Amino acid sequence: MRVSLEWLRDYVDITPSPSKLADILSMSGTSVERIEELASGVSGVIVGEVKRVENHPSSDRLRIAVTWDGKEEKKIVCGAPNLEVGMKVALALPGATFPSIGKEKLEKRVIRGIESWGMLLSGAELGISDDQSGILELPHDAPPGEDLRNYLSLDDVVFELEITPNRPDCMSMLGVAREIAALTGKKLSAPRCEVAESSEPAERLAKVEVENLEGCDRYTAKVITGVRVGPSPAWMQRRLHAVGLRSVNNVVDVTNYVMMELGQPLHAFDLNKVARKTIIVRNARPGEQLMTLDGVERQLNEKFLVIADFDEPIALAGIMGGEGTQVTDATTDVLLEAAHFNSVDILTASKRLGMRTDASSRFERGTDPLGTVLAARRAAALIKEVAGGEVAHGEIDISTRPIFPVEIELRTETVGRLLGLDISGEEIQKLLEPIELKVRRNGNVLHVEIPTFRVDLEREVDLVEEIARIYGYGRIPSFIPGGGGAKSGLTKRQKLENKVTELLISEGLSGVVAYSFILSRDLDLLLIPPGDRLRDCVAILNPLAETGELMRTTMLPGLMRVSLANMRRGNDDLAIFEKGRVFFSRGEQEHPLEIPQVGILLHGRREPLSWLEQERKFDFYDLKGMVENLIEGIGTVPPSFDSFSLPYAIPGRSTGVFLEGKLAGYLCQLLPEVVSGFGLSGDFYACELLLEELLDAANEEAQFKPFSRYPSVKVDVAFVVDDDLQSARLEDEIRRSGGDILFRVELFDVYKGPQLPPGKKSLAYSLQFSSPERTLTDEEVNSQLDLIIENAGKALGATIRGREQPNGQQS
Amino acid sequence: MSDLEHLKELIGERKEMAEFLDEALSAVEQSDSLESLERVRVEMLGKKGKVSAIFRGIPSLPPSERPVLGEIANTLRRVLSDEIARKKSVLLAEEEREKLSEAALDVTLPGRRKRLGHKHLLSSVIDEIISIFLTLGYRVEEGPEIELDYYNFEALNQPAYHPARSLQDSFYVKRRDPEKNYPDDVLLRTHTSPVQIRVMESDSPPLYVVSPGKAYRRDEVDATHSAVFHQVEGFAVDRDINMGHLKGTLEVFIKKLFGEKREARFRPHFFPFTEPSAEMDISCFACSGKGCALCKGSGWLEIMGCGMIDPNVFGYVSYDPERFSGFAFGMGVERIAQLKYGIDDMRVFFENDTRFLEQF
Ligand SMILES: [Zn+2]
Repeated sequence: MRVSLEWLRDYVDITPSPSKLADILSMSGTSVERIEELASGVSGVIVGEVKRVENHPSSDRLRIAVTWDGKEEKKIVCGAPNLEVGMKVALALPGATFPSIGKEKLEKRVIRGIESWGMLLSGAELGISDDQSGILELPHDAPPGEDLRNYLSLDDVVFELEITPNRPDCMSMLGVAREIAALTGKKLSAPRCEVAESSEPAERLAKVEVENLEGCDRYTAKVITGVRVGPSPAWMQRRLHAVGLRSVNNVVDVTNYVMMELGQPLHAFDLNKVARKTIIVRNARPGEQLMTLDGVERQLNEKFLVIADFDEPIALAGIMGGEGTQVTDATTDVLLEAAHFNSVDILTASKRLGMRTDASSRFERGTDPLGTVLAARRAAALIKEVAGGEVAHGEIDISTRPIFPVEIELRTETVGRLLGLDISGEEIQKLLEPIELKVRRNGNVLHVEIPTFRVDLEREVDLVEEIARIYGYGRIPSFIPGGGGAKSGLTKRQKLENKVTELLISEGLSGVVAYSFILSRDLDLLLIPPGDRLRDCVAILNPLAETGELMRTTMLPGLMRVSLANMRRGNDDLAIFEKGRVFFSRGEQEHPLEIPQVGILLHGRREPLSWLEQERKFDFYDLKGMVENLIEGIGTVPPSFDSFSLPYAIPGRSTGVFLEGKLAGYLCQLLPEVVSGFGLSGDFYACELLLEELLDAANEEAQFKPFSRYPSVKVDVAFVVDDDLQSARLEDEIRRSGGDILFRVELFDVYKGPQLPPGKKSLAYSLQFSSPERTLTDEEVNSQLDLIIENAGKALGATIRGREQPNGQQS
Repeated sequence: MSDLEHLKELIGERKEMAEFLDEALSAVEQSDSLESLERVRVEMLGKKGKVSAIFRGIPSLPPSERPVLGEIANTLRRVLSDEIARKKSVLLAEEEREKLSEAALDVTLPGRRKRLGHKHLLSSVIDEIISIFLTLGYRVEEGPEIELDYYNFEALNQPAYHPARSLQDSFYVKRRDPEKNYPDDVLLRTHTSPVQIRVMESDSPPLYVVSPGKAYRRDEVDATHSAVFHQVEGFAVDRDINMGHLKGTLEVFIKKLFGEKREARFRPHFFPFTEPSAEMDISCFACSGKGCALCKGSGWLEIMGCGMIDPNVFGYVSYDPERFSGFAFGMGVERIAQLKYGIDDMRVFFENDTRFLEQF
């Protein structure tokens, strides 16, 4: 909200500088977002008086205004339609500057043969309103010759305030002035709301009925007859412009002016256009329509509260008036509305319509239920002042119930307990009274009466905040509490989870953070068949087109998009991981499932390009080695791997990762058509692991496993097996037959080729034996190896291609 | 006594002999190659060498001189051959080094490097935040990202038509029955604060908890907005927790995260789930409070929201606000990372360009 410093000075004496004042406001909870200095570009503009108007010899449109500048008469060529003899005007003399000419200076000019000694300015040219339909008319008592900057207080400063939703009382000049007065120790002087009235009672000129008393518990109407609608006085236009409101005409401007001044939204109806001069506050009927002031035809239903006349809706209650009854130049009689609407109703209606107006933003937060009469009187007085007319006697005031200020009990002990302050009842009283809270002390209990405009103060704790706010948060002493003791720190599982990240990074992988959304198209690109679990997605009701409409069930699309973004920018090699969640719908009844996962994607060169090595691309076994290291690193039982069919993987190039027989994830090479679907090319290796399964399998309480201290014996042996035999099966057999003395099995060569029969491959292992009790003899090792070979032959049809004798003692 | 000292004693006033010793020693020392050293050796110790000549001269000496001179000659031979051997090993080592240096490497060539992995900056910042609170006696709890309206709003004192709700635009989960609405609404959590409620529901004070995680708001993605972002929520509930504890805790946190020189200030603000509520600012890094473009001239940077937990929130979890009090705070991880590392566009975090990933 914009507030004008010049305007605020009507209600409070402001001594601090604008920037100091901004600080004071910010530190009390009314954050000042911006300070704007107005009209700094105006100079050389004075009050002038039009003495005579002469015709221009060579133009029908232009005229010559003979204008008195306080010392002499100046001839000014002017095209404004509203130019009149006797008018007080804004006269810019040669050398003047003002916003519409920027940094230029006004020069004496010859216009169609007539020398013009300056210019008469419009409100728009001066930068004080949007009005460029004619020249600005100053009040009749404006003294010719006076600098306009002084006369109109143009050197104003505007503060852009952030008003928090709990403080509707601060959405007005008076509310902000009240805060300033309390914070700087000054007195607040509220505007006078008295008006001279005629003897004609308002009730005789109009009628008001409130049908929906829930939606509108107070409706105050005032009637003014015989007004002359025209432009507002310059000072009012200027103030409205300063706070960001457009000047419409004097009557409408007054309603806006009083809303800004007191925070009570008002509406003015052209009473002669209100059918049977009857106002009915009711819900709309199905099928009713209303053309609102913004020129939009609104379709209404019974959910909307409207202001209707005898026939039809004439305004959307608390949001916007209708075109049919608006105040125009022809209006003579006005009905002023000042009402109190249910804030939730206004919020709901304004959301439903997508309309947020100055009025609705105040009503939805809560206005002062006692504020309607004062605001109506203030507005009537101002209308009489600026538009003339007669104010009818009294007001039509309909209210459901008498409204009394609330009283809250405040214990000084609560203040001390919540703020850590030792503060007396007397001190509290001194803090609260300047913001118009009445305090009655009774020992350590304070009875605090809350003014009706403070809709946010309902409980003891709300008063504690007021005390802290006025006292100053900065003055509250700081302490450090004791902490959670035995319940503090990371759990073992959390530490293990951190270790997973560390291990992935030590494998040369970099962490990425992708969005949790995917597109349903992504699942098509991954060739996920209908009915697959990966299609049990949580769908977003109101997605953003750019981010995707489903919650991800797989991390692959995100990882692929990270790849694409990088490839497009020439980052050709990628080794990335993401730790995050995937989401599964479990139907209407159950809450969606969230599963933490690790995703890995590899593409391109394994190592940075080097002069030392041949360039080597990532392959399947790079990814597998990373996964094996990760699993060993967190100390789970050894994993097992088995072929695993995935719709997006190359057949025969994907494997499940099993821990203690449970599936803990997969790793694979992606199908080329999947890769190209995502706009990429080349080999991509992907992996997803279930974090919970990894952590479950991790051995949290690892115990020392003793190992032999005797020398060991190393033997190499090469088996020939069928080409399609999985090496893991041979290795399992070797370990099983190796007994207790075989402690290390390393596969060092896989060979297929002309030296072997077709359909065969050779697997060469280095085996290491030792005994916990003594040094093994060659015979013992040989006989164990014989057993291994025999069993491998029986179980898997393995034959021996080469066998080394035990190569001596090693330690 | 070394051989050389012994020899010098034996030589005593024999001037000719003393001169010979000096000459011989300096000849050994000045040899600059194995060849020249060999020449010296032959000249001194060879069959026709000078030491042999001394031996040969002994019989012609008076008998009383013979034993002394015999000892001198023997010692001389020993001293010189020791010196020559020593010098030889020195020359050999020099020669070896010379040979090796001919195979010198270009030490400026790049080394053999493995691909280095990097933690994502947001993860690092979260870890750093968490580690500070761990030292203050906190624990870590996480909550679901898909939340019930109850936890995300209602139990945080934001009933359905609270005006504060209009501040946030949330992603809602599609339901088959479109009329099914509040309070059964399921949405992507708009902050990490629901974890407060979940922890308080399942545990009892004292509670000192931080909770990092993703949150979602329906913001079009640009330099300052992201539909997905990260927060760290923290709260403490105990007997006699007051606003001074909130201030003290966050002041320590900010100094540990941003450095000893950073000052914190607390401004009144509004959050539905705290009362009193505050916004915490820290003194600007760039200008140290004088005012600059980063802090928009104010000298302060907004860093997080915080406050004393509202008694209404305690009401939802059946805690007695007369017995327990607490504070809560929530900070945006992206904002902290942006301020700390000078990143002006939030999109950088989610694009995952390797040139970003590899910087941290
Ligand atoms: Zn700064």
